Amino acid sequence: MADAHVIETGDLRKHYDGVEALRGLTLAVPAGSIYGFLGRTGAGKTTTIKVLLGMARPTSGRATVFGLPVESPQSSVEIRRRTGFVGDDKGLYDAMTVRGMIRYTASFYPQWSRELEERYLRRFELPAERGIKDLSRGMRTKLALLLALCRNADLLVLDEPTTGLDPAATEDVLQALVGHAADRGCTVFFSSHQLAEVDQIADRIAIVDRGRSVLAGALDDVRAAYRRIELVFDRDAPDARFTAPGVVRVRRKGRVLSVLSSAGAERIVDEARALGPVSVDVAPVALKDIFLETVATED
Amino acid sequence: MLWHKSWLETRARFLVGLALAICAALSVVMLYTRVGELLQLAPPPDTGGVLGRKIREAVVLAQDYRGYVWSQWFAHQLTQMWTLFALLLGSGGLRSQSSRGGALFTLSLPVSRGRMVGVRAAVALAELAVLALVPSLVLVALSPAIGQSYSIADAVVHALCVAVGGSVLFSLTFALSTLWADLWRPLLIALLVVVVLSLAQTVFPELSRFSVFGVMSAEGYFQGDGLPWLGLSASAAVSAALLWGAARNIARQDF
Repeated sequence: MADAHVIETGDLRKHYDGVEALRGLTLAVPAGSIYGFLGRTGAGKTTTIKVLLGMARPTSGRATVFGLPVESPQSSVEIRRRTGFVGDDKGLYDAMTVRGMIRYTASFYPQWSRELEERYLRRFELPAERGIKDLSRGMRTKLALLLALCRNADLLVLDEPTTGLDPAATEDVLQALVGHAADRGCTVFFSSHQLAEVDQIADRIAIVDRGRSVLAGALDDVRAAYRRIELVFDRDAPDARFTAPGVVRVRRKGRVLSVLSSAGAERIVDEARALGPVSVDVAPVALKDIFLETVATED
Repeated sequence: MLWHKSWLETRARFLVGLALAICAALSVVMLYTRVGELLQLAPPPDTGGVLGRKIREAVVLAQDYRGYVWSQWFAHQLTQMWTLFALLLGSGGLRSQSSRGGALFTLSLPVSRGRMVGVRAAVALAELAVLALVPSLVLVALSPAIGQSYSIADAVVHALCVAVGGSVLFSLTFALSTLWADLWRPLLIALLVVVVLSLAQTVFPELSRFSVFGVMSAEGYFQGDGLPWLGLSASAAVSAALLWGAARNIARQDF
């Protein structure tokens, strides 16, 4: 893929009836990455996806997909031609059958893969002749994924792709996604509340909160950079102020002072030793805690 | 394939309308002899006002089959039934789909919103043309069964006047449906407009040649004055403007 960044936004803003859904969002999604887009409900994830796919117009700022501006109707058609999409509502057409829905969608994509279609029909155990209105939520989700994957798209944009799936089906879908991305070399941009899923398949993440990106980077780098330093004192922990860069949050509880760092632990540990703790413990931080702490700092 | 989706979404309304219209056309043909007998028995109406005038007109028109068919079918039953289904077929669409799911999937397809709206309007207009034409041709085909005949050309011309003249009512509902996500508000507003137009035509009959229903009934053509070109052109132009407005409205909306 020629585009270095498949998706790029800069200071992207979107207002809906006085509500600021996006407040200067900046993103850069590298080609070939599996990019997890995290945020609380109402953080702006779905709005971002809608703006990227031309379903909502940005109020200001810049957004491109494949280098094409999203606000141009002509570019938007081309973007959608190269993109597979699963919406958070998993809305499909109740008047159609599974097979009808597949044929309908395939008609818009000359590069549609019949081989993948048959493979995913079997793998997801989808009843081809059943009406869409008779499908369970899990089945709808699987069909929506099939419709996105078989397009042979350069980019998959998935909004909460595993909603409604049981754990086994979720695992199956995640494996299918990873396998598909690896086989086809496509970029996957997916939003999720399920941090374990993101941890499992994403190689890059962005955490969005209140319409802004508050953390972005390669997941391994984020994991390596974030550390929790726990200092235990033989007295009440002091009200310390750290000058080292990357201090996200400092918590005092009795004799324990806990520091969350986004820039490693070394300099904070050096500073901490000057406070005279009886022990210093440095531990890696789980993605869930990074998420919760990052989002919490905005409160 | 957009047309296929539009067809699937509207076919129930269309087929119900078609079945009802064919039944109505059948009843118009089959009741001709009986209506003629009853009119001979009825004393001349002495009722004044609009009602009396309507009864006297009906008696005069029913004296020959062409007048009976025009009066009962093209000017009344077909026009009324067609109007109802024009409103039903005009309601719905992308905006209402957004409240019921499926709109985001549609919008994710590599098709412009203008094309989506255009195809949906074209499919519904084609269905409405069939809804006017087929029952009218059924009426022509059945007329020999009661020893009468009706001109195919007249049937086609009247049906087209119903469809083209009435397209403005479809387009009005279609345009209103791009303003609200629910199905009922556009339908009720359009229905209110139809009722007001209908009442205005009844109260002020001299305005009927300027009204949508006047164009649809094509009384001038029936009387031998030729097609209501001005009315047909005006209806088509207003209809096109409403559809254009609907497309513009959908194009600028956030979903």
